[in-house]
Amino acid sequence: MDRFEMGPRSKTYKKVPDLCMVQDADWQRYKMGHHCEGRTETMFSVKPIKPTFKCYLPPLQTDVKKTIEPPIKKLEPKLLPGEIVVNEVNFVRKCISAESSQEDLWGKLICTNFKVSFILQDAPPKQKSHLSHLLLGEHDIPLTCLEQVVTVNDTRGKKKVLGSNQKLKFNPTELILYCKDLRILRFCFDEAGPESAKKVCLAIAHYSHPADLHLLFGFEYQGRRYHESKEARVNGSTPRGGLRTPIFDRPSDWDREIKRTSASGWRVCSVNESFDISKSLPEYIVVPVSLADQDLKRYSIFFTDQRLPLWCWNHPNGSALVRMASISDPVQQRKIEQRVFTAITKSHPQRSDVFKSDLDKCLPNIQDIQSSFVKVRHICVIDPFEESEERWLSSIETSRWLEHVRAFLKHSAEIVYCLDGKNASVILQEEEDRDLNCVVSSLVQLMLDPQYRSLTGFQSLVQKEWVMAGHRFLDRCNHLKKNDKEESPLFMLFLDCVWQMMNQYPAAFEFTETYLTVLSDSMWIPLFSTFLFNSPKQRAQHLIDFAKNKAIPAGEDQAVYFPPVWDWSQQFSTKDQTLFNNPMYVGKGAACVQNGEVKTFTRTKRNYSSSVRATPSSLRNGLKGGEETLTRRGSLLSELKPDFSPVKVESPSERFFRDLFSQPADQRGLLIPLLMPSHVALWKLYFLRWVPEACIPKGGPITAFHKLSQLVDEIEILQSQLRQYKGPSPGSTPLPSPGGPPVNQRRMYFKASPQNDPPTPPDFLTSSFPFTPMGNLCRRSIHGTPISKFLNGARIWLSTETLANDTV
Amino acid sequence: MEKSGSVDSLGSRRSSSRQPSVDSLSSTATSRSDRSAQAKPPSAMSADSVSTSAEFSPELRVKPKAPAKQVLRESDKEEPQLLPNETVQDMAQDVTYFCPFTGALRGTVMVTNYRLFFKCMDREPAFVLDLSLGVVSRVEKIGSASSRGDVSYGLVCKDMRNLRFAHKQMEDTLRKSIFEVLIKFAFPVSNGLQIFAFEYGQVFPENGWKVYDAVSEYKRQGIPNESWRITKINDHYELCDTYPSTLAVPVNIPDEELKRLAAFRAKGRIPVLSWIHPESQATVTRCSQPMVGINGKRSKEDEKYLQAIMDANAQSHKLFIFDARPSVNAVANKMKGGGYESEDAYQNAELVFLDIHNIHVMRESLRKLKDVVYPNIEDSHWLSNLESTHWLEHIKLILAGALRIADKVESGKTSVVVHCSDGWDRTAQLTSLAMLMLDSYYRTIRGFEVLLEKEWLSFGHRFQLRIGHGDKNHTDADRSPVFIQFIDCVWQLTRQFPAAFEFNEYFLVTILDHLYSCLFGTFLCNSEQQRHKEEIPKRTVSLWSYINSQLEEFTNPLYVNYSNHVLFPVVSLRHLELWVGYYIRWNPRMRPQEPLHQRYKELLAKRAELQKRVDELQREVTNRSASSSSERAGSPTRSITPVQTFV
Repeated sequence: MDRFEMGPRSKTYKKVPDLCMVQDADWQRYKMGHHCEGRTETMFSVKPIKPTFKCYLPPLQTDVKKTIEPPIKKLEPKLLPGEIVVNEVNFVRKCISAESSQEDLWGKLICTNFKVSFILQDAPPKQKSHLSHLLLGEHDIPLTCLEQVVTVNDTRGKKKVLGSNQKLKFNPTELILYCKDLRILRFCFDEAGPESAKKVCLAIAHYSHPADLHLLFGFEYQGRRYHESKEARVNGSTPRGGLRTPIFDRPSDWDREIKRTSASGWRVCSVNESFDISKSLPEYIVVPVSLADQDLKRYSIFFTDQRLPLWCWNHPNGSALVRMASISDPVQQRKIEQRVFTAITKSHPQRSDVFKSDLDKCLPNIQDIQSSFVKVRHICVIDPFEESEERWLSSIETSRWLEHVRAFLKHSAEIVYCLDGKNASVILQEEEDRDLNCVVSSLVQLMLDPQYRSLTGFQSLVQKEWVMAGHRFLDRCNHLKKNDKEESPLFMLFLDCVWQMMNQYPAAFEFTETYLTVLSDSMWIPLFSTFLFNSPKQRAQHLIDFAKNKAIPAGEDQAVYFPPVWDWSQQFSTKDQTLFNNPMYVGKGAACVQNGEVKTFTRTKRNYSSSVRATPSSLRNGLKGGEETLTRRGSLLSELKPDFSPVKVESPSERFFRDLFSQPADQRGLLIPLLMPSHVALWKLYFLRWVPEACIPKGGPITAFHKLSQLVDEIEILQSQLRQYKGPSPGSTPLPSPGGPPVNQRRMYFKASPQNDPPTPPDFLTSSFPFTPMGNLCRRSIHGTPISKFLNGARIWLSTETLANDTV
Repeated sequence: MEKSGSVDSLGSRRSSSRQPSVDSLSSTATSRSDRSAQAKPPSAMSADSVSTSAEFSPELRVKPKAPAKQVLRESDKEEPQLLPNETVQDMAQDVTYFCPFTGALRGTVMVTNYRLFFKCMDREPAFVLDLSLGVVSRVEKIGSASSRGDVSYGLVCKDMRNLRFAHKQMEDTLRKSIFEVLIKFAFPVSNGLQIFAFEYGQVFPENGWKVYDAVSEYKRQGIPNESWRITKINDHYELCDTYPSTLAVPVNIPDEELKRLAAFRAKGRIPVLSWIHPESQATVTRCSQPMVGINGKRSKEDEKYLQAIMDANAQSHKLFIFDARPSVNAVANKMKGGGYESEDAYQNAELVFLDIHNIHVMRESLRKLKDVVYPNIEDSHWLSNLESTHWLEHIKLILAGALRIADKVESGKTSVVVHCSDGWDRTAQLTSLAMLMLDSYYRTIRGFEVLLEKEWLSFGHRFQLRIGHGDKNHTDADRSPVFIQFIDCVWQLTRQFPAAFEFNEYFLVTILDHLYSCLFGTFLCNSEQQRHKEEIPKRTVSLWSYINSQLEEFTNPLYVNYSNHVLFPVVSLRHLELWVGYYIRWNPRMRPQEPLHQRYKELLAKRAELQKRVDELQREVTNRSASSSSERAGSPTRSITPVQTFV
């Protein structure tokens, strides 16, 4: 099976029988046009020629081709370095709408070792995605993005979910691909060769279940890319490949963070160098200065996976945020914890208390999160639109997704209260310190430190609290589809929490919800080092092996030969990357928080611990008296009731938050999200972007963004003109070019338009922008125009009121 | 910022800005417009001016422009500045207000002929509650004297609040309690007093009563034309006393026939023109239900009339009749002489029921909603509790109906007839929402005022009955939040199309607050005839006078006046949201979301400043290059265009 040669361990791919044997038979059909159904069977019974590697090389120059003009132009996939075609089938119909096949697209379905690709037979349709991916075409899906591969035979009423190395007893008439980015794609094979169709389906299923991490396409691609782009790099070599996001794999990254937060009681410690102590901790960690390396080594054995407590962040008031795994030995627990507490207290300038928060006890676990994500996804993209409409709110509630989002935000806010309101250090404790702690520690820092609300800051936060802290991305993403029980969308939950904050404070973040969405999509592209590994150690080992195998010179930077996702130029053009920039933040000129020190918050401090303000008991008696007299007297009279529920006694933290909310938000300071259930919303761009019925034509938040973006672009043009006037040589001031800064330096996606042009409705703007639902969510249900669903008669519940009431 | 440090007071938050007071309003308005005419001063960009303008309150505020701290200090020592002809009726010390959010507060209460003013000095800063008596729906004495001798009163408000007070038992039993005084002035109509709007005599620079003129609005639409004419048959409200005096009807139906027609439509509300498509000539017409009755009566005149409406539109040979009701209700109406058009009688007409429920269902739904949102929102089951109120589902059905109407007219080029039973509740909701989707004029501030004046006020939505201004009979079955629902629907549209409306959320909240306040005459009475008889325009101030005198407050800076932009909202619970900025605004845990438009205004100011500096430098360079010869053959005098196009 050397034709599947992909890397040193490709043998672990199980053998797929005859995946490419139909090539030539297909070609026969191709030559004759596809109206030869009657003879197809005989065609396919022809013993296939033994395949060679050649048949995968794209421009297959044979004599046959030269003599016979194919009825359609040759459809070639766009392949990346190291990408090979595994199998393909022609005359496939990609379904756009379930109602009619009129809009359906015809083309070739291809399975490569990286993606499923669909190549259009005709010119691309009018509507195009506005975010064009540099590595993936509009109709491409990376194999790692596939959640489920389903084959259907309509005539025989059969359906099968395909796994790796499986057999299929029927010829599929349809292939449905459920994707992890919530797309659902449907391909019909009614005009395609049944055997080739079947083989493509089997290939897709097989290749989306890689047997080993090494077989993920990134390990092929990045090696080739490294060597191919070597020359370009030699000239303009910059440290870390020009990456501005710290990776936290070096002591200097941690040092800078200690300095930035004035965490004088903390030091960088290299006790875990070469992962000597813990497999899942980074090589360099930050610890209290009062703890010596020897102490740390001694303590480490008591923690799960030898995970010593990890410093995350320091508040300007000196309080520290620390994360920690649990201590397995109950006998030692108290003693060790006491020592850790003492050390942390010593590192606090005021020797303040330490609070411990056990996240396993108060937050949903990873299975809860996974099952609620599965439910909410089902409700949003799989359930038929109109049927799920009636009980939409309660179904969303039943999924518990928003409840979980709120729980994490709320708990993080409570931690913020401890750090900021009570001036106390906090330890986040979790069994393994690799899941819930990642979410909470990063949310707390986002709320407290404006630096993390900048784009680079946010990326460094993910790098610090997720990637280097040992979040099991490989298992949680289930890239190898080996263990479904380990799968959990924790990172997605975190992104949703960030979105909630962004939704409430639209000017506080440098980046946009498009950025968050694209980041979540990047998890399913196996080309970046960020989401492929379970721990820093695994990453280090795999990358060292990779470098050896690909003949990458020793000493080359990992960020160069296997870049993280943060190098966005891998995926998007400079222009498309401007979709990540929030005009409200950019326009404000918020650059001062970049690399700046953590600002001390201007909010007036109060002592909250003793501020539980009880109502005088006599008054509460009065309240109770009121309640008794108020019995419900019919619906019209029951209005008073809610007011007489006893006044809730506020907890100090509630008081703290209410105080905060009574003041205008300081975008550069403490940012606490509103935590009432009414203020936690479904993230529509993420969950509904592919749903055609939910797409608002010429509407959605993007229309406001459009206007803001244009205004900020004007501001940037003016600023650039000013700079030119004040140029270095005032004696010979050249006239500034009226064009302002060069297009590639402009930070806004939407450019200012000439003032005299009459505004026309932005046709391309929809609530799904920059994504398009077109063909990306094909459920087997009734689709239609936005109007048609009402014409089918909106279902109404039976009124509880009597009809006789309808006199008006 | 305004109200920095107003830790827990609802009231003091409100005392800060924006609304007019006796003496400062007109000057405010003018100074505002002055400011907008010039470039904004740099101070407009400072943090201080970032007012949380999404924060709403119905009360007229004291000192609109004064910085917050000052206001707070003033409220510490002073009483509120009274409106013209507002007089203090009673005051009481030692009253307890049970704030559902922060606990009991002790302070003083003042009742005027317009407002209730509670102030608690124990808090830092002082807590102030200032509400117009018009919002009070009911005042109830709760229980008898408790052991401590307190008497307790509950105030149920129309704006989603309940307030509770207590004071000591009067020693002098003859003296009226302050709450008995309050009851008198909260329900002037029931107590033989005048509604405050008739006393308030504030003069505004703008005259809101001139905003709407039926003839010019029809003229704007191109009426009269070859198919439609303006009739004065209802000049004295003889044809129909709940219709406006000016009506637009098909050209070929003479006035005499209109009279006969009136007998076949409930309350004489014959089909008349609401809106005509500027290109296709497809029309939106409105009326009440036909008096078909149990025997299926027909009217030749009515059939001919609808045919005439259809014929007026050459583009389509079909007419859609949208009956807003659920079909069962329409059938049930036959028992009472009403009913719906049978498709046998009306050739080429298609009847569609829109399944919108009646005023009683809507009232009940809002009542349930209030239970769910006030005072506190339960931590669990929020969404299912919200669902059980059916409020959003009602909103959805109304919007869905309007969308179908707009789609028929815009995409189908077909004329539509809209009615419910009487054609003044659901019909008004549907026609006005459809017109809002179809015609961008109605999405401007003035256009929206015209829309309300036309489709709601002139066509006889019974505001007096539905709201119950100054009437103590809170159980009146005629009360219903039909108009609130409409404004909610408009808000939903602004959420889906944030750049398509000239007005902002504050504009909508202000309209709802003054729907109840009884400060302006706009929403008084039930029909144009009544308003005419009561001389409302002469004797009261229009809400639009107030609003149009300070437009900037109500303007959405993100507004883009796209031409031919028809809105097709997605009418799905996936996009419909509870309007938290209105229904949950009393909750101090709800900070209004950082207002986008505020940020936009700051950016505008920044741009203006930069532009100014660039222009100055430009002049300097031009002068210099002019004096130092003309080496450059270019065109140095060419002014720099501020904005360029890039693709």
